[in-house]
Amino acid sequence: MSLGDRQPEKKHLKDMADEVLFDFLHMEMVSHVYKEQRSSKGELDSKDRAVCVSILEGMGFRVGQGLIERMTRDSPSFKDELDMMKFICKDFWTQVFRKQIDNLRTNHQGTYVLQDNKFVLLTQLSSGKQYLEEAPKYLAYSCGLVRGALSNLGLESVVTAEVSLMPSCKFQVVIQKL
Amino acid sequence: MRSADLQRGPDRASSGVGTRKCEMTVHNLYIFDRNGACLHYSEWNRKKQAGISKQEEFKLMYGMLFSIRSFVSKMSPLDMREGFQCFQTSRYKLHFYETPTGLKFIMNTDLSVPNARETLHQIYSTLYVDYIVKNPLCSLGDPLQSDLFSARLDTFIKNLPYFNPRAA
Repeated sequence: MSLGDRQPEKKHLKDMADEVLFDFLHMEMVSHVYKEQRSSKGELDSKDRAVCVSILEGMGFRVGQGLIERMTRDSPSFKDELDMMKFICKDFWTQVFRKQIDNLRTNHQGTYVLQDNKFVLLTQLSSGKQYLEEAPKYLAYSCGLVRGALSNLGLESVVTAEVSLMPSCKFQVVIQKL
Repeated sequence: MRSADLQRGPDRASSGVGTRKCEMTVHNLYIFDRNGACLHYSEWNRKKQAGISKQEEFKLMYGMLFSIRSFVSKMSPLDMREGFQCFQTSRYKLHFYETPTGLKFIMNTDLSVPNARETLHQIYSTLYVDYIVKNPLCSLGDPLQSDLFSARLDTFIKNLPYFNPRAA
């Protein structure tokens, strides 16, 4: 088995650590959070599941804040909200998830929908409907990442994700006007 | 039945009765974990069943291979390298590959297929590792239920140069 059997277009990531390291860590994080909750509460009802999701989202939030700080340290400041969202869709997504967002839609009033047709944390699960009910667990951390990144850019937001056909998923960002 | 251990490189071309070019095909594939549990079984071209239940068939396959590997290593007149790799009968050939983690891949093909070790290794490294190990919902040791894995495996086998769905 060779971890080096990657396609040539991944050459630009040669100075980053092998992507499987994060994939496996993320898998275990999700499993750990749910196991902890199960061991203290017994069977999980929907309230417990919401607690698990918010724990994972909180982790992502803190990481997202740090990541955006590091990624934008050499860039000029952003013109406006849309510019920031485009940065998230292109540069941020490429650095974290190895590809860009496929489709960005907005109502120009603070709501954005980011669509990723082959979300990297879902591609190994299924390419259809199998395991659909488990998919949201694996999106919570990423929602937090986006919320954290935006927060450190000065935008408070609420980020949710939905998936109807794997591995495609949609992240909805609603900017909170203060 | 002839045993072949210490095989290096491509097999000598099979000759004799029943080796027509149009027969090139893969019959079936078994995957066992290190404890002998059968994780996966697929068949593409099996004309005759074993006559026993699937559970018994898996136990028989695993047990027999366990014995053959042990026999082959004991009786080897030279130092062993890879150990048991395949055996062939007058109609089919069984290929065996074991990963360092104890997973066993067994494939039955027709006689014209040379050592399929590389193929089995590819199934392990590109399909099993990508779609099972990296799938958080597949626990190691459970039978493989991922549809994605089954679909990709099917495509992979059908794309092998020696696969022919209409074997005589």
